[in-house]
Amino acid sequence: MNHLSSETFKENAKAALADVQLRGALKNATSLFGERRKEAAAGLPNWEDLRSQARAIKDEVLLHLDRYLEEFVRNAESRGATVHWARDAAEANSIICGLATERAARIVVKSKSMTTEETHLNEALEAAGMQVVETDLGEYIIQLAHEPPSHIIAPAIHKTRQQIGELFTAELGMPPTDNVDQMTSTARMKLRDRFAAADVGISGVNFAIAETGTIVIVENEGNIRLTTSLPRLHIAVMGIEKVIPRFNDLDVFLKLLPRSGTGQRLTTYQSFITGIKRAPSDEGPDELHIVLLDNGRSRMLAHPVTRQSLACIRCGACLNACPVYQQVGGHAYGSVYPGPIGAVITPQLMGIQKAAQLPYASSLCGACREVCPVKIDIPRLLLHLRGEISPRKGSRAERLAFKMWARVMTSPSLYRLSSVAGRILQRVMPISRAWTKGRDLRPVESKSFHDLWTNE
Amino acid sequence: MWTSIGVSSVGVLRRVGCEVEFDKRQTCCAQPAFNTGYLDEARLVARRFISIFEESKADAIVSPSGSCTAMVHHYPQLFAGDSKWLPRAHAIAAKTHELSSFLVRVLKKEDVGASWNGRLTWHDACHGLRDLNIKSEPRALIRNVRGAEFVELEHADSCCGFGGTFSVKYPEISVAILDEKIDAIERAGVQAVVSGDASCLMQIGGRLSRKGSKVRVMHLAELLNESSQQ
Amino acid sequence: MSNSAREVILGSIRTHLAASPPADDHPVTPANPVILSNSDPITRFKESLEAVSGHCIIATDATDATDVLKQILTDLKAQRVAYSDNPPDKHDIFGFDVGVSTAQAAIAETGTLVLDSAGERHRLVSLVPPVHIAIINASCIVETLSEALTLLQKKEISPAITFITGPSRTADIELTLAIGVHGPQQLYVIVDGSK
Repeated sequence: MNHLSSETFKENAKAALADVQLRGALKNATSLFGERRKEAAAGLPNWEDLRSQARAIKDEVLLHLDRYLEEFVRNAESRGATVHWARDAAEANSIICGLATERAARIVVKSKSMTTEETHLNEALEAAGMQVVETDLGEYIIQLAHEPPSHIIAPAIHKTRQQIGELFTAELGMPPTDNVDQMTSTARMKLRDRFAAADVGISGVNFAIAETGTIVIVENEGNIRLTTSLPRLHIAVMGIEKVIPRFNDLDVFLKLLPRSGTGQRLTTYQSFITGIKRAPSDEGPDELHIVLLDNGRSRMLAHPVTRQSLACIRCGACLNACPVYQQVGGHAYGSVYPGPIGAVITPQLMGIQKAAQLPYASSLCGACREVCPVKIDIPRLLLHLRGEISPRKGSRAERLAFKMWARVMTSPSLYRLSSVAGRILQRVMPISRAWTKGRDLRPVESKSFHDLWTNE
Repeated sequence: MWTSIGVSSVGVLRRVGCEVEFDKRQTCCAQPAFNTGYLDEARLVARRFISIFEESKADAIVSPSGSCTAMVHHYPQLFAGDSKWLPRAHAIAAKTHELSSFLVRVLKKEDVGASWNGRLTWHDACHGLRDLNIKSEPRALIRNVRGAEFVELEHADSCCGFGGTFSVKYPEISVAILDEKIDAIERAGVQAVVSGDASCLMQIGGRLSRKGSKVRVMHLAELLNESSQQ
Repeated sequence: MSNSAREVILGSIRTHLAASPPADDHPVTPANPVILSNSDPITRFKESLEAVSGHCIIATDATDATDVLKQILTDLKAQRVAYSDNPPDKHDIFGFDVGVSTAQAAIAETGTLVLDSAGERHRLVSLVPPVHIAIINASCIVETLSEALTLLQKKEISPAITFITGPSRTADIELTLAIGVHGPQQLYVIVDGSK
């Protein structure tokens, strides 16, 4: 799979900007998503109250995450689920591969799970000899194309219908077309027998209810229901931050998530799964295994500013609102999680050294904060991360420049001198070269406001 | 760097009856360091800002910059946990206002007696809009400028792509974002774009000029200082 | 092995929380429920369902409802019909044209069916065949999502509860809506309006 790296965000972004087709696709998608979200939010007069409430619930859970996780596990296990704890990606993959191998599984169907992309689960399953089939249409498309997802909600949004049509013709033998309904029918047909033949179904989890041990998964296509109803073994993978306290809390989140993500009042299906079936002759899997993944999340609890990262409900609204994402798309970030939320959680999950450019790839405009259903203050988080990175990892030239800047700004005489020098130097400094590639500089002024001011 | 903004701001404030002082010792609000992650350096400069302005007996500190005002409002965050500087930071932040916000919300003035002939539009600078909730105030002030035909810009609240050091760290992305703004400005068919932040105006103006556009950029203070006496 | 991972993770959570400076306190009052319409629940349910491309037919009573069902099956030229009171095996169900079920509740504000595995074997019948027909009594319609959630908690939560709002759909290709993906392509809800 062609994974770009977050370490080369700058180069990735430049390449993305040169891709005319990509930019067209992004413009359409993000503006449509944005309009739909706006309309859907306006349809609920208490939208702002709901946001505050959701954030309060998340804050409550995160402050007592150990207790709520234990409650969730206790209740899920009492209903017949088996719960596994995975410290990191490798452990999660090992647990899941082990479960599948023990049951001699050959075919695994998956519904969309960002967490399993985070751990690169598919590669691990394939290495263990299993056929892995992504069943969400967007994920199916990128699986055929050997590409990573470019958006949290719509993974194939960077592709035009023509590109997808050509892909289906090449990979699936579909008669050439760019008709969306025909492409969808093709995918439906091709995946049906995979669902029927699958030994294992792997899903993500949107919300895990501590009070009842229920996992809640939302979708539009029906592939999650098929994945979690047909195979004998259902494995649900979730980050530890997905737990919410009470069943009734779903009212708030089920109002915020669909509207923020796709502009819908409700997605077509919500599955509420609590343990396993009561009788062997009942419908549904024989076994439910839930894998709880840490992989760096517990570290984020150490400060209120970073803790709010874990409130994210993966709606994707911040991506659509972000002027940077709108221009470069998801692949440039080199991470499973792109856009504003990706810029703050990728360095925290993968380590700052792997993603040091990302927190700086923002104009701090705050559009993300405005649309976030759980009011994550992403600009504040970006600044927090910059504060961690710059003093230690900023270039020597930059660190020196700011030390000098501070000295100049705290000395009136140096300040006056620098204003004069600056006006001369601005024409030649490297910063000016970066500026003047696309923009003119203002004409130099001979006097500053300080010079002009006379105390009357 | 843009003296007429300062001159115009003083002119407008005096015209509406304020007594204006300017402390020549002032340098910077510390935003560049704060936004780039150099917090120690930001604190050095912020302390100076606070110390200087504390000495003033003025009722208010007014800035013709939404981003600088927002920065000062962030001083409590910068000095969190510092029992000596935190209360002082709070005090200064409470007294600091952006120009249009000061005129409309504090002085309750929406008509400052300005006049300017032509078709213009307004760009919402991000910090002013999202940190300080400045949206209706500039529009109210502009609507009272005699002779000015105000047109609402499409996506007026979208970022211009400046973002401080972002504009030179990621110049290609900065300009790509900027071009969306430029397209909207061209579609609006205006003679001038007005905004409350010099950085946005440099960004927008720099691209307009590079593209040979006749559209000029104006700071709100410059517009409001225009009068029929000229 | 699993136990030690559990202890490590819980330990990490506790340690990091303990190290955290206090957060600002933002007490929040629960949002007031908002009723958005004055129309009766049946009408509201029908409008909401039709807004998401579902078909909704109001029948006068149980007999009428059965007639409506027969008519729909005839119109669809349905050959093999699966019923939730005696559903086919999961290996056979892919060959069926229509799945017929009831529902344990319905939500007016969104046009949603609430199916509970304790009430009927709905999971495959309402999912696999390309057409799903649900027959419900008007008395099971509640106004809001919140009421439905409360209802479900009156007894121990069943192993599988499903909310269904319209036929299956996707917008994964250029954000263009396509109805009928993996779940049913058509959803009919017959509402028996009798008391």
